[in-house]
Amino acid sequence: MKTSTAVSRLMGTPGLPMTIILIVAVIVFQLLNPIFLTPGALSSYLTNAMPILLLTLGSAIVIIGGGIDLSVGTVAGLSAGTTMWALVAGAPLWVGILVGCVTGLGFGLLNGILVAVFRINDFIATLATLNIAAGLLVVLSQATLLQGVTDEGFAALTRGDVFGIPISFVVAAGIFVLAHLLISKTVTGRRMYAIGISAEAANVAGVSVARSRMFTFVISGLLAGVAGVFLASRLGAVQAFLGIGYEFTAIAGAVVGGIALAGGAGSVWAALIGGLFLATVQQGLRLNNVDPVYFSIVTALAIVFGVIFDRQVRRVLLRGALARTAAALVDRDASSAPASAGRESKEEVR
Amino acid sequence: MADDPNLPSADVVPVLEARGVTKHYDGVTALDDAHLSVQRGEIHALLGGNGAGKSTLIGIISGANKADLGTILLDGEPITAAGPQATILAGVSTIYQELSLVPALSALDNIFLGRELHRRVLGISVVSDRRRMEETVRELASDFGIASHELHTPVSEFGALKKRSIEIVKALAFDPKVLILDEPTSGLEDAERVSLFEYMRTLRERNVGLVWVTHHLEELVGLADRATIFRDGRNAGTVEVANTSIDQFLTYMFGDQRDEFGAGDTRHLNRLTPLDDAPIVLSARGLNRGSVVRDVSFDVHEGEVIGLAGLAGAGRTEVVRTLMGLDRLTSGTIEVDGRRITPRSSTAAYRAGLAMLPEDRKQLGILADLSIAANISLSRLRTVTWARFWVSARRERALAERYRTRLGIKTPTVTARIGNLSGGNQQKAIVARCLNTSPRLLIFDEPTQGIDVSAKVDVHALIRHHAADGGAAILIASELEELLELSHRVLVLKKGRIVGEIRDIPKSIAAGHFAEIKSKVLALSAAGSAA
Repeated sequence: MKTSTAVSRLMGTPGLPMTIILIVAVIVFQLLNPIFLTPGALSSYLTNAMPILLLTLGSAIVIIGGGIDLSVGTVAGLSAGTTMWALVAGAPLWVGILVGCVTGLGFGLLNGILVAVFRINDFIATLATLNIAAGLLVVLSQATLLQGVTDEGFAALTRGDVFGIPISFVVAAGIFVLAHLLISKTVTGRRMYAIGISAEAANVAGVSVARSRMFTFVISGLLAGVAGVFLASRLGAVQAFLGIGYEFTAIAGAVVGGIALAGGAGSVWAALIGGLFLATVQQGLRLNNVDPVYFSIVTALAIVFGVIFDRQVRRVLLRGALARTAAALVDRDASSAPASAGRESKEEVR
Repeated sequence: MADDPNLPSADVVPVLEARGVTKHYDGVTALDDAHLSVQRGEIHALLGGNGAGKSTLIGIISGANKADLGTILLDGEPITAAGPQATILAGVSTIYQELSLVPALSALDNIFLGRELHRRVLGISVVSDRRRMEETVRELASDFGIASHELHTPVSEFGALKKRSIEIVKALAFDPKVLILDEPTSGLEDAERVSLFEYMRTLRERNVGLVWVTHHLEELVGLADRATIFRDGRNAGTVEVANTSIDQFLTYMFGDQRDEFGAGDTRHLNRLTPLDDAPIVLSARGLNRGSVVRDVSFDVHEGEVIGLAGLAGAGRTEVVRTLMGLDRLTSGTIEVDGRRITPRSSTAAYRAGLAMLPEDRKQLGILADLSIAANISLSRLRTVTWARFWVSARRERALAERYRTRLGIKTPTVTARIGNLSGGNQQKAIVARCLNTSPRLLIFDEPTQGIDVSAKVDVHALIRHHAADGGAAILIASELEELLELSHRVLVLKKGRIVGEIRDIPKSIAAGHFAEIKSKVLALSAAGSAA
């Protein structure tokens, strides 16, 4: 009985069927085009995917806390722009990186204040900041040509490696591990889940809803800032409309991974799997020379089918596991039947 | 073993029958070979302690949950319908403990929600046919005290009884053969209870089979015909109510454990001595919040339990919410142990030494998806952490285990999802969450709603011990008996104001004297002449 309970719990884990789909997708693309799993393609794939993965993580954190952040895409774009602007103006590399991160952090703080302090609906608040960030990038890119950084260290952020592992991969892995610890092992993370399940009930239990909610937006903004820095490094030039539409991929990645939009459920693992799945589909299409015009359609379809599959598989597996549990219990009860019969007859004599 | 052979059920086909129903949740047996047989025109009580399986059985009968094994028969035929809506159409309606009406919709729209009658235009049904819907239920509604103009009023404007009546009309609008009432009196005032019981008698005359879940054994007498009692997911017996004493019911419900909670009787801890000279724990002065709390001032002394009485909407919950910082005060001051606090958030209130058990357990109490342990530790997470930041799963479990033993929370493991527990055990976990902050002042808002007799005795004991150990408490309870039995003083509220105070409540409440105090409270809360 104990093992089948464990099985049912494992299969109920959100994102597990999605992991299977991810592996299947990788195998299919590898069969279609064997270049898929070569070190060069893999490294460029991870470097390409990294900014979006960070945005997915940020979205996931906000969603787990019961909110939504639509501004992640354009904030990442603007952060790429401000990093570029600082470096083009001749700032040292670390200042440029800092400027990008602070841009993201600032927008996270702004979102947090609008939502937690002024209690503006998060959908509306972040829709506004989405457009503010997008507008600022247009202004910035008209004032300055956002390209031509001479510091080779900047490009090395994405092209370089440590012991053969791409730097961006190391950074992403580090961030995901930290985020996982934060969400699942700390006081902050626990409160996030609590307000995601029910802000009102968490408040009655003594959780400061405003502070926790603010925190989720700040983290999401900071991650968008970091994503922007890496975007700028990879692209080498920032155009006026960078980042628009990224929020769709980011939020979709979180949802595909199995994070409920209702909040209070999900994990960093789920965000990672969901984000990787979308990145894999795009990379697969690119390597198989599919016209980029179709990318968004195929990606959207992959999202829909991924979510349906995830839910169906979980339901079927869960049902099977429960049936086994029930059967095991019936067996146990049958063997202890005489004892219970005795107990019942005793009770009848009142 | 189920039925007494002397009962008439032997030769008449029961309108509702449950046979051998078994249900497991996460490997926990909630129901084991359960039986239930209900006749037409019968009020059949369904009794049992928390976690005995009553809610599970109702969930299965009403189609909300599926049984692992067993059959439900309606008029001798197995119900094949799947899902709650189909079960209602088959003739089984359920009125749940928590009101399930949509507040913004009118009474009429609520009654027909999901079953709207449509008007056809060119053979296509397009709009809801309000007039026909109203005609269908007008008579029925007036039988239950709902005037026809009230059918168009949004449900949010009605009081608890009227909402309950609307639920009853909603349930009856489609001529059910069986009506299930899950704790229908919770949240009702005394007078409202009496009218509800009248309605139930009317239904019995209409030949409906009623299944009535209640924790209030004293309500059974003179109303219920038979009772089926569950214990630990199994049938403990089916009896005729008229021939059974409360004592016998308790034995059925709790078996051998019954003796134990006699020891939990802590009435001797009730203090008669006036506590006016004891140090003041909480002092509220001139509290105002819009029009719901008006100029409320009172003190709570060390060792004192203050009861708040009043009708629904009198502002009892609103007063304690402002104390907890859940709602902003327009004006007024609050002092705890002589220190002025301005609770802008519940965090500040908890830090100052207040803790609250909220009225609405499902919405405001539990965090259903978190574990029992996580629900308990939440109010003061830092006690189960390393460096105030890393949550230690081991310490958290240990904390929860301590409270599991102390409060008798029935669960196989404290890491189980709290949503899977029965109501009474959820309540105990929330009590544990409050105690975890070692509060000076505990606020209990309807602490015994929907919990069984033994859990109720436990909660009462807890409140008394808390006060006897030098703490203070504010208690809100719709049941006046409960309020008077536990409180040293009772403040009566009406329309947000304190309109009177009852002092010198006798230690053991003798029947005659009690009625006198009770009518005094009722008179105050209704008439509201400033005393």
